[in-house]
Amino acid sequence: MAEEGVSADSEVLERDRCPTGIEGLDNILNGGIPRGNTILFTGSCGTGKTTLSLEYLVHGALAGENCLFVSVTEASEKLMKNVIPYDFFDESLIKKGKLVFVDMPIIYERLGMTEMELSMEDVEALVRALGNLVDELSIKRLVIDSVTSVCYRLKTEEKIRNFILKVGKALSDRGCTSLLISEISPSAERYSLYGVEEAIADGIVLMGNLERRGDLLRTLQVVKMRGTNHSRAKYVLDLTPAGILLVPLLKGGSTGGN
Amino acid sequence: MVDSVSFGIPALDKAIMDGIPKGYTVLCIGMPGAGVELFAKRFASAGAKNENVTYFSTSERDDDVLNTMKDFGWSTDMKIVNIGTMYYEKVLARHLDVSKYRHEGLSMMDIRQFKSRKSEEPEEFTTNFLTTLTYEVSKLSPPFRIVLDSLNFFLEYYPHDEVLSALRTIKAHTQHNEGVALVTLVKGVLDSRTESGIEEIVDAIIELERQRDGYEFKRNLLIRKVRNHPEKTGILAYTIDDKGISAKGV
Repeated sequence: MAEEGVSADSEVLERDRCPTGIEGLDNILNGGIPRGNTILFTGSCGTGKTTLSLEYLVHGALAGENCLFVSVTEASEKLMKNVIPYDFFDESLIKKGKLVFVDMPIIYERLGMTEMELSMEDVEALVRALGNLVDELSIKRLVIDSVTSVCYRLKTEEKIRNFILKVGKALSDRGCTSLLISEISPSAERYSLYGVEEAIADGIVLMGNLERRGDLLRTLQVVKMRGTNHSRAKYVLDLTPAGILLVPLLKGGSTGGN
Repeated sequence: MVDSVSFGIPALDKAIMDGIPKGYTVLCIGMPGAGVELFAKRFASAGAKNENVTYFSTSERDDDVLNTMKDFGWSTDMKIVNIGTMYYEKVLARHLDVSKYRHEGLSMMDIRQFKSRKSEEPEEFTTNFLTTLTYEVSKLSPPFRIVLDSLNFFLEYYPHDEVLSALRTIKAHTQHNEGVALVTLVKGVLDSRTESGIEEIVDAIIELERQRDGYEFKRNLLIRKVRNHPEKTGILAYTIDDKGISAKGV
């Protein structure tokens, strides 16, 4: 088991970790995301959610875990091209089936979900289908980009709650550590568009934009993470060909972090 | 003198205007078991020699249509457009797939198969069969004979006003090109407004009626409407045997 980066001073009973492979984030999380957690990665557009989630999967695949990216809004072929510029990306991961991309619209179509609004029965079928794929491919890391687009078709709070709970449980039961990408408007005062997702997820990572001295910085902040101690400070996120770099956002001398 | 073509049933030809006047759209209506489908096949075969015949089938396979005609010794020289088969392949088979995926689960193979198929047939799931019908009819050049068996299929899946509109299109094309058309309809399953709407559009109505008479069925062919010729309406008796359909005055 990969356990590197676990903080020595952590006093909670440590759960097995799923290291994101993003050094700064693993430090914030005392070694990684507690395995089996379903985390909401939330932020407005251009904050790096998709990039971060892809990097999380690539690191997992490089470490030998099978990873699945479920693309809801964008064709996965187009997305695949986005991961190629990384220095550490190895194209054979896709060929070997370590990193698999699936388009959610195909799942919708296969399950006969032609109506814009999905029913409760559709929710069950959708969760079951995701579980089938996770089982078949022995997936240990999964990303749904974005869960907001799925919620858009669920419409009611009850169905959204049901979907997030069931998908979280189905993935957790299979030992799968999952990132649900959530889109919010820059001015939103909550962490998810429907307000339900954030209450149910095991963790919330908020990604944002911050204007400072004429520059638009990307920021990341772990708001909540069940099963681990973590810093709640805001970090600056830098997208580089070597991957995501995180540095503490210095404000008034406080660096936050632990 | 009206220019007519044969129904394939001499007594019926004689009773109307030596056949069906060119440009006419005829409705054949009857309860299940009355012989409406067989009437449609006889009508189609009767035009095979001199006209371009297109037979639109909604509930039988091509072989069922052709074999029935062969059994009675009728000509099968016609084009069959099988809306029923298309509907099965594009809609019903898909429903079967959906229930399979929902019950047995979804695999990566199912997802990959979709990808390769989708690139080959991009319009697969957007077919409107009513549009297919009118498009196929619009391509026909005279002299032509159209058989549509049956209208009930379209009335079941599409809004009734759209079906009536399609029927008007078929009728107009038939009228302007001096072709002939026969559409069949099962009696008693539609609301009276739709049925009246259809009866109003067509130029002639033939109803096949089967009544129990002791230990046998008595069959009557009712000529219920002949446009502008109410004197031609009347009742014939008809029989169905291994030679086909024959009628005589009562």
